[in-house]
Amino acid sequence: MFYKIAINNVKRSFRDYSIYFLTLTIAVCIFYSFNSFEEQTAMLEMGKSTSEYMLTLNKLIAGTSIFVSFILGGLITYANNFLIKKRKKELGIYMTLGMSKGKISRILIFETLLIGLVSLAVGITLGIIVSQGLSVITAQLLAVEMSHYKFIVSIGAVIKSAVYFGIIYLLVMIFNQVTISKYKLIDMLNAAKKNEVVKLKNAYVSIFFFIVSLIVLAIAYVLILKNGLNSEGFLLIASLLLGVFGTMLFFFSLSNFMIHIVQKNKKLYLKDLNIFILRQINNKINTNFVSMSVICLMLFLTITLLFTMFSFKSTNDNMVAGNTSFDASSVLIAKNENLEENANDIETFLEKIDFTFEADEKHTFFSEYKLTLTLENLLSNYLSKQEQKEFQESYMLGALSAVKISDYNSILQLKGQKPKELKDNEVLVVSNYGRMNQALNKFMDNENTINIEGKDYAVKNDAPIEGNILTTATALTYFYLIIPDNFSGELQLDKTGYNVMFEGSDPKKSEEKFTNLFSSLWEDSTVDGTNYLVLGNTIDQVNTRVHGLSATVVFLGIYLGLIFLISSAAVMALQQLSDASDSFERYQSLRRIGVTEKLINKAILIQNLIYFAIPLGLAIIHSIVGISMVNEVFKAFSQGIIGSSMLVIISTLLVIYGGYFYATYVGFKNIVKSRN
Amino acid sequence: MNSILNVEKIEKYYGYKGNVTKAIDNISFKVDKGEFVGIMGPSGSGKTTLLNCISTIDTITTGHININNKDITVLKRKALENFRRDELGFIFQDFNLLDTLTAYENIALALTIQNRGTREIDRLIKSVAKKLEISELLNNYPFQLSGGQKQRVASARALVTEPSLILADEPTGALDSKSARLLLDTFEKLNKEFQSTILMVTHDAFTASYAHRILFIKDGRIFNELIRGEDTRKEFFNKIIEVVTLLGGDAGNVL
Repeated sequence: MFYKIAINNVKRSFRDYSIYFLTLTIAVCIFYSFNSFEEQTAMLEMGKSTSEYMLTLNKLIAGTSIFVSFILGGLITYANNFLIKKRKKELGIYMTLGMSKGKISRILIFETLLIGLVSLAVGITLGIIVSQGLSVITAQLLAVEMSHYKFIVSIGAVIKSAVYFGIIYLLVMIFNQVTISKYKLIDMLNAAKKNEVVKLKNAYVSIFFFIVSLIVLAIAYVLILKNGLNSEGFLLIASLLLGVFGTMLFFFSLSNFMIHIVQKNKKLYLKDLNIFILRQINNKINTNFVSMSVICLMLFLTITLLFTMFSFKSTNDNMVAGNTSFDASSVLIAKNENLEENANDIETFLEKIDFTFEADEKHTFFSEYKLTLTLENLLSNYLSKQEQKEFQESYMLGALSAVKISDYNSILQLKGQKPKELKDNEVLVVSNYGRMNQALNKFMDNENTINIEGKDYAVKNDAPIEGNILTTATALTYFYLIIPDNFSGELQLDKTGYNVMFEGSDPKKSEEKFTNLFSSLWEDSTVDGTNYLVLGNTIDQVNTRVHGLSATVVFLGIYLGLIFLISSAAVMALQQLSDASDSFERYQSLRRIGVTEKLINKAILIQNLIYFAIPLGLAIIHSIVGISMVNEVFKAFSQGIIGSSMLVIISTLLVIYGGYFYATYVGFKNIVKSRN
Repeated sequence: MNSILNVEKIEKYYGYKGNVTKAIDNISFKVDKGEFVGIMGPSGSGKTTLLNCISTIDTITTGHININNKDITVLKRKALENFRRDELGFIFQDFNLLDTLTAYENIALALTIQNRGTREIDRLIKSVAKKLEISELLNNYPFQLSGGQKQRVASARALVTEPSLILADEPTGALDSKSARLLLDTFEKLNKEFQSTILMVTHDAFTASYAHRILFIKDGRIFNELIRGEDTRKEFFNKIIEVVTLLGGDAGNVL
């Protein structure tokens, strides 16, 4: 009997609250997808260091999942509480029929169980499908090959999703019991009749509050923009707190302020159902100002998070270009006090440790020198103060590096490129500084010669050549002058190094060989009592370090962003839908006094649009401030990124938030119409 | 021809084959301009159904209803909505005021949906409020008003558009006797001074005694018709009681 009631209730609420069910399903789907990550990526061809990195990423995702489950737990409890409130009258009728509270509880438990099971099953099924695409995306992000495709179902993630959501549903059940035991029968039966308490407020007080909220927000914005992330902890926290406070005050006073303003404009006020729409929204925003503020802040976090993530990734991608031309590179940092012959030569060093290259490990050696000329001397006329500061902060000022043309040509040949010819009075500029700011490009456009120790050298190229002379993950920005072999100025040996290309049939073996060499040298590179500083990277290590970092940021950003977005959209939707059933009688009254269906539908559309747009609008303004701050951090590297990442963010918002909006609009119309 | 409402042989069936209930069984009558007509009958007699059909909320099975020389039974849905908006004024037992709006806004709504100009709206509301003596209440919300005041606001909303016909469904049903009397006095005044045509459904004999003419309905048919003529209200009331007794079963509703 109870089961029958429960099943029928679920069927009904499936129709009325399909958005609730949909949200649960999407949440399970996202949760499963990210937690199945480990098994999904097992099929990728990864080197040793990438595999190690994947372990870290999985741990991070697991940690984030706990945080996410708290958010989802909050969302589900909130939504459920909403639905229970809506059903007070129905539950009251059960009680007048003589059903005990215990039995009613049982109905509710069974209902939760049923909804939980169905949403879990559907969510996991969807998740399994979605997560198949995840491995493809991962492969791209980490720049690794996908050897073979396999359909994977992660049992671990299924169990994890079931356990996490099981706990959440269990909490919901307990919560329901507490709620039920608190209700009084008379209140339950009269629940539907109760009107929302209209808070009467002095118009001038609300205008005052509204203006205060704008001032507080403005102060918060100014504080953030002026001090940026570098500000002292106190200022940053103060501006964040001000922002939160200002947001809450904004939503607290907004609707009364709005009414006051619209009432002044009689043309707008006395048109169609505007009076009605205004009052509907007023009630809603006023009673829900806390949740509106939370939603606004969540949307703000989502937008800023996604933007930061994209900036970070594209900055990384931008800078790593040209830095991964060789399968492995290594350098020995020269020491000046080391006077023994060839002590600074990496070739000699390799002989000492009995390391030999296989025949198919093609390699070339090179030496890198420091000139007496410094970067600030070279670019002094073209660097703005701000750019000079940026260079200084990234430790790029100081003596310039130089490589002799013969070494450079052998590097080019190893890459499979044509060697360059250089006369005795010519130099080449190899650098990616142009990606950071315009100083170098301006220099190249305006100057034809470089003066080194009183001698002029003609700059042979018109634009800087991009392409590092070695593979590196640490120094992604580079500047080299390629000098003639018989350069007469002072040269100080800075480092010697080599590049390798694995051309054998089993590059993985060479990869492992060099990875081991580099890590053993990293731990201990003392030979015959002398300590050498030898650094090296294989391409896999670089990919891991550079792409791995951006992949982490991207995955966590998308994971959290999606959860934030569906949570806030779902709360908005539920609030509107519950408003729809609360306002059913009002819409009936409108129909009775002769309001046309067309006008009613228009009113519903406007009402929903405003309700969804207001928190989003403020969140967007917040985000513009937040993004300009984030952009400050990445500014050195991320020009022209804003456009493309904005497109992705806006379309994500449109699809998810807009989708919820549309579903709410349709649901609202159905609820208002249904009992007609 | 100055009859505002002309009901011709209408019938309304509920239910399916084999189990048909005739809620309205061949009713015809006319209401002239400026008349105040009451419809009485016991519960289940079909009076609310009749009102719903006239007010275009419900549809009839056969027959014709002409309001202001327009046959509403052949109108399309959209035309019906416009007709309801422009030609009819409603007063309900439970007021049907929007609880979120002030009295002023409730009345204004009836005009804004007709796309009236803002100045005109303000002027019309002020004048109708004066007529119904609710000028001081305009800025109050429904929950700040008494039942009688609410019903007067609702009446103002029905009147403000100057409809051809005002339909009142048990307007005193939710009021105490003093408020009911005040409201009915207002109706009388509206009818006399402003020639409003009122069709009122009630099962309360006292309320009905304010009308000029009363149609008694039982089991979906017109059972009797009483015309007040030159009678005082007291005499008319007594006549009504006699008919109600004759109708039977509903004596409990007599004051």
